[in-house]
Amino acid sequence: MLHKLLELSKQPLFRVGVLVLVLAVFSGLGYGLYTTQTTPPQPIQFPHSRHVALGIQCLYCHPGAWRQASAGLPSTQKCWGCHQQTPLTQTSVELQKLAAYAENGMSIPWVPVAMLPDFVHFNHRPHIAAGLNCENCHGEVGKMGIYENPQVLNMGWCLTCHRERTQDDPEKRIKLLDCGTCHY
Amino acid sequence: MAENTIKIPEFKAEWKEGEAGRWGMVIDTDLCTGCQACVAACAMENNIPFVGETDAAYGRSMHWLRVERFWEGEYPEVRTTDFQPVLCQQCGAAPCEPVCPVFASVHSQAEQINLQVYNRCVGTRYCANNCPYQVRVFNWRDWERPEPLNNQLNPDVTVRRRGIMEKCTFCIQRIHKAEDQAKAEGREVADGEVIPACAQVCPADAIVFGRLDDPESRVSQLAKSKRGVQLLEELGTQPRVTYLKGA
Amino acid sequence: MTKKLSRREFIKLAGAGAAVTVLTGCGPAARYVRREPYALMPEYNYNGQSTYYATTCRECPAACGLVVRTMQGRAIKVEGNQRNPVNLGKTCARGQASLHGLYNPDRIRNPLKQAGRGSGNFSDLDWEAAIQVVSAALKENRPSEIAFLLGLAPDHLFDLVNDLTKAIGAPAPVRFGALSMFESRVTLSQAAQNLFGKAGLPYFDIGRADLVFSFGANFLETWLSPVAYTRGYSQMRKGQSTRRRGTLIQFEARMSQTGAVADEWIPVRPGTEGLVALALGRLVAEISGAPLPKAFAGVDVAAAAAESGIPEETLHRLAKQYADATNPLAIPGGAALAQSNGLKNAESILALNALAGNLGQPGGLFFSPAAPLPDESHPASLAEMSELIQKLESGQVKALFIHGVNPVFELPKALGFEKALKSVPLVISFATFPDETAMQADYVIPDHHGLESWGYQRALTGAGQPVLSGAQPVVAPYYDTRATADVLLAAAAQAGGKLAEALPFKDEVAYIQSRLLPLVTTPDGPYTAPEINTFLASFQQYGGWWQNGEALTTPVGAPLEKTLAPGVAEAHGKGEFFLLSFVSPVLGEAGANKPWLQEIPDPTTTVMWNSWLEIHPAAADELGLHDDDVVRVVSEAGSVELPVYRYPAIRPDTIAIPFGQGHSAYGRYAQGRGVNPLDLVYPALNEAGDLALAGMKVRLEKTGRKQTLARLESRMGVYGEDEH
Repeated sequence: MLHKLLELSKQPLFRVGVLVLVLAVFSGLGYGLYTTQTTPPQPIQFPHSRHVALGIQCLYCHPGAWRQASAGLPSTQKCWGCHQQTPLTQTSVELQKLAAYAENGMSIPWVPVAMLPDFVHFNHRPHIAAGLNCENCHGEVGKMGIYENPQVLNMGWCLTCHRERTQDDPEKRIKLLDCGTCHY
Repeated sequence: MAENTIKIPEFKAEWKEGEAGRWGMVIDTDLCTGCQACVAACAMENNIPFVGETDAAYGRSMHWLRVERFWEGEYPEVRTTDFQPVLCQQCGAAPCEPVCPVFASVHSQAEQINLQVYNRCVGTRYCANNCPYQVRVFNWRDWERPEPLNNQLNPDVTVRRRGIMEKCTFCIQRIHKAEDQAKAEGREVADGEVIPACAQVCPADAIVFGRLDDPESRVSQLAKSKRGVQLLEELGTQPRVTYLKGA
Repeated sequence: MTKKLSRREFIKLAGAGAAVTVLTGCGPAARYVRREPYALMPEYNYNGQSTYYATTCRECPAACGLVVRTMQGRAIKVEGNQRNPVNLGKTCARGQASLHGLYNPDRIRNPLKQAGRGSGNFSDLDWEAAIQVVSAALKENRPSEIAFLLGLAPDHLFDLVNDLTKAIGAPAPVRFGALSMFESRVTLSQAAQNLFGKAGLPYFDIGRADLVFSFGANFLETWLSPVAYTRGYSQMRKGQSTRRRGTLIQFEARMSQTGAVADEWIPVRPGTEGLVALALGRLVAEISGAPLPKAFAGVDVAAAAAESGIPEETLHRLAKQYADATNPLAIPGGAALAQSNGLKNAESILALNALAGNLGQPGGLFFSPAAPLPDESHPASLAEMSELIQKLESGQVKALFIHGVNPVFELPKALGFEKALKSVPLVISFATFPDETAMQADYVIPDHHGLESWGYQRALTGAGQPVLSGAQPVVAPYYDTRATADVLLAAAAQAGGKLAEALPFKDEVAYIQSRLLPLVTTPDGPYTAPEINTFLASFQQYGGWWQNGEALTTPVGAPLEKTLAPGVAEAHGKGEFFLLSFVSPVLGEAGANKPWLQEIPDPTTTVMWNSWLEIHPAAADELGLHDDDVVRVVSEAGSVELPVYRYPAIRPDTIAIPFGQGHSAYGRYAQGRGVNPLDLVYPALNEAGDLALAGMKVRLEKTGRKQTLARLESRMGVYGEDEH
């Protein structure tokens, strides 16, 4: 077996084949890694910047943020409520997709970007109540098209802020550094 | 505590002899009828998987709460002891905590209960072996939950996977919800506002839950009863669950 | 990447790519999810916030109110409705697990037509065709050839069908449920009629009693209204400042879960409960020194003691206890009534209450209040079911409609329901699950699950006030099912003529509104409304309608002047053991298809997922039976094989098998698991026409096989060597 292989390795065609294989594996690896780091395409290329520029408040579309855990995504009807009145809806190609969703009474299958693992239970309400603004965590959404996280949403990032903000309040610090506050 | 130093928990839970603890439960075994409503409610609230007959026979069922009964005496004077729901006793000095090599079984300083941090757990099962109450259960498999049964999953509770240890959390998601609600309204959590699924469902009103550090709470009052005992008290685990025995 | 790829290289490359995907923890599809917000947000909903809907539990007919937590259109958790007077915010295990019915993977998803009954050869049917089938069946058969067989819930459907059959002159719908058969409800009601001149379910005020003699009433498990009676039990145990802690004495051959929490368990020989009650009554009367009432005069205490197997001194002691109690109460239930002398037993036990003078007194015996809406239904006794079966068999019925009941499973096999179906040309089932009866139907036209349904249910007992528990859908129907009421309305409209006239309603909700109309003007409700639409809104919000204040009525009559002579029940069949089948406290009559109910340990044996045979260890030793040995139980009517559980609290002359398992259909979690004790039951009746199922003798045969029971207790050596 080994002997045969050695003999084979002398053939140029075999060497090229091995090279091709190694290349293929590495490029595949690279691609695989790349895909884990990119968000899949959104159903509609939603421009946050345009909406913010029109003066629409974050809480208009994400009203859950100030009173509950999840900020929420607007229903198709809510999008359509404004868009059926705007002339752009008729002309824009991208908005034809929205029109189709609205007319068929379908929900828009958005791909969440600011996403936490299943074992983390995040609650927007106390963060807003503590005086944070949306952009403190979500960045300058007004300058973004499709939303992108301005930083990696990991535990270190959460705890840095929790530590900073509870320097003078030991009781709060205990609560905000407790595992059970987010993990259950 | 200095800024930016992570405090490594010591190999001993931080508790003081005779400390009340924060959340506690009283179970009146004279009222318990053994009806298993608490077991069902617990499973429904906490996304507990079912394991099927074979694994259940191997003792791998995932009950966070079980109702014990023992036989006493000989026919015709045979009796069962009072039905006794046994769940995690949320010990003040918990034997499960110091044995965990990855700090997945830790004491919550804020809520004064035993936490199981699923994302830290690597499944050594040391904690379960060291638990004198046998209330920790291990996910031996990714238990099957065929569609559409997954529609019933509670979004407030993590769905655990294979290789993870789990146990009763005193329905910490409900504690958080009530605390958050109270905070939003700018008030304290009232007695009786936090009710775990088992206490909420109990048709005999045998399970009472509340703050042990509030001497006026219903649970503190009941825990002072002369009938009150704690399971394996002699081990010094400082359980937060008190059983009312006898009549 | 390369100039030329050979086929082989391409395959290698594809393999490598797949390996990479696995290595890196998968691509975006696994890392990211899709969130589909509502297209149109329902009223009162917020994203990410729960909405709660009040409805009625349909796991048994007790009419407990539920409040179901829903999120984004999914039902997440069932809680009790705190306002409903029956359950006051509590539920039992079966109510909790009802979500495993709603989201059961084996539900029927759309209307089906079966080619060949029992073949399982189903083909899909569209709704138009399904309604056409029902319409034709109603129109083309003579009214007398149509039969409806309904379950004990929901009530609104019974009322609708009752209106329909009345209008066209068809026989009234028959209502049946295994629970009512096991509880001998007809016998209890008949005994009340005989003693107090009024049929109906008595209400036992356990909560205010200080001594309860329960003769086989498993009121903490499934009996009548278990959540309400558990609350009563709890109140009794707690006592009050003016009253000491109440005591419970349970008379039954096998210690039930209720018996397990009793202060004393008296293993009475099956069929002698009435005799024991009379003996106790005689002793109590003698202690009080009053002249001996006629009811108790005929009994010989020594003979009763000998027949029942209870020592005479125990009877004396218990009688003293009863005489000394302030609020004693005696409850006849279940096994005591399911005997050839069941009616007499019930009367004798009820007479103990009259002796204590507790009729209409706190802690005593009452009549349950009449439901807010007139009720024309009653649970069918087994005699009535036999009548129906005879009608089916003789070919008098051309179209049979079945809803909410599974008679092929819930009736004793020996009664021959399944066989009788063969003589019915058309069988239409409205089952939600593929149960045994649906498997014997020509068409299955699935109803919604209870949590997706409109309706109402009368609380027959359990609350001190008249209660009508309301049901509304808590989630949109998950499958392509349709409310049976809507199907019948559509079919009637299509059929035209008398049928359409009988049911001139747009849909189910319109029918329910029409029924609720009288309540709008009834005083003393929890809310007031000027007209029906506002009323219905409150009805949905509160989860029903009930009257404020107690409306229990006092039984009147002179039961002590009656001559009572229950004697000893005749046992059917040959064998050394009495067979006692009892409803599984966890599964109830229809819980076997819910996986979490299967995994909940039986309270007394801790067995999960299967059937077992309870036998006294001494009797087992005599036969050389160990735990998990499979035995064959042979009766006059049939035989079953199941593993042994050596149960220390059962009479040595009695064996017991739980009812609830033994399904041959009903979905993956129920099918082929355990045995149905009704296969053993010979359909002998008592004087009230109920099944005398507790008066059966059977024998045991060893099979030499073993089958491990999954038990929560004692896990050591489960799959190892015999360890006892």
